[in-house]
Amino acid sequence: MTPVTAEELRETIARQFGRSLHIRTLDTGSCAVCEQEIRLLTAPHYDLHRLGFFFTPAPRHADLLLVTGPMIRAFEVAARKTYDAMPGPKVVVATGACALGGVYPADPFTHGTVDAVLPVDVWIPGCPPSPLALLHGLGVAVGKLAEKVRDLPFTAPDDSERTRGDS
Amino acid sequence: MTLWFVRGLRRGVVTTRYPARPDPSAASLPTPPAFRPGQLTAGVADRLVAVCPGGALRRDDRVLVYDVGACAACGRCATEAPHAVTSSGEFELAATARSVLIKRIPLRGEAP
Repeated sequence: MTPVTAEELRETIARQFGRSLHIRTLDTGSCAVCEQEIRLLTAPHYDLHRLGFFFTPAPRHADLLLVTGPMIRAFEVAARKTYDAMPGPKVVVATGACALGGVYPADPFTHGTVDAVLPVDVWIPGCPPSPLALLHGLGVAVGKLAEKVRDLPFTAPDDSERTRGDS
Repeated sequence: MTLWFVRGLRRGVVTTRYPARPDPSAASLPTPPAFRPGQLTAGVADRLVAVCPGGALRRDDRVLVYDVGACAACGRCATEAPHAVTSSGEFELAATARSVLIKRIPLRGEAP
């Protein structure tokens, strides 16, 4: 997907699904910790539904595909079918370090990364991403929250907080 | 309960925005590392690359390439070189392009 279409898609989704976006989760070989964190989103503390997100068991009702796991090759056909069954416009969110290519290399058993099979629009790092990180990722996916990581340098000043680093 | 109901009717607000206030649990989350460039010699960088289990770190001559997407925030690099690595405290890391998750951290300009 070209960046322009992705941007248009995001605007369409922000307009059309502002307060009602249905999520289908897809486990492509994850260890289930990502699923635990996703499940916590519906708990009262995080309360995903207040933001207009809902989980749906059917890809035909879904607007957003939340993919976890390293995309094992045995699941490739099912993943493509799930994606094809979703009505457009649709967003694919890769969730967790496995889905982003961090944990498993590409080998005869896994693709190692979700975007080898599906066109990913939003990447959520973390192993697992906390519910807060998932909420932020969903907000980025619908264009409600800004992407912060682009400007983060991941460097720290040399002198301060020495004790924190040593702990 | 009645109070909430009346308050909701008065304000016309039934939901709250993403996070209405900072989440207290966020401070205790394991977060990806942040590196101190002044402490990162080539030798330290090589040690960090060697202990990284997910392949998130890679040394490209004078630059430590850090892939935030591949990082599991396990903290092994911070244990290996606590003077050079600390916790970033960042968890809102969602990106709309894979390339923005790959950070290039310059090393200190001297040999170990």
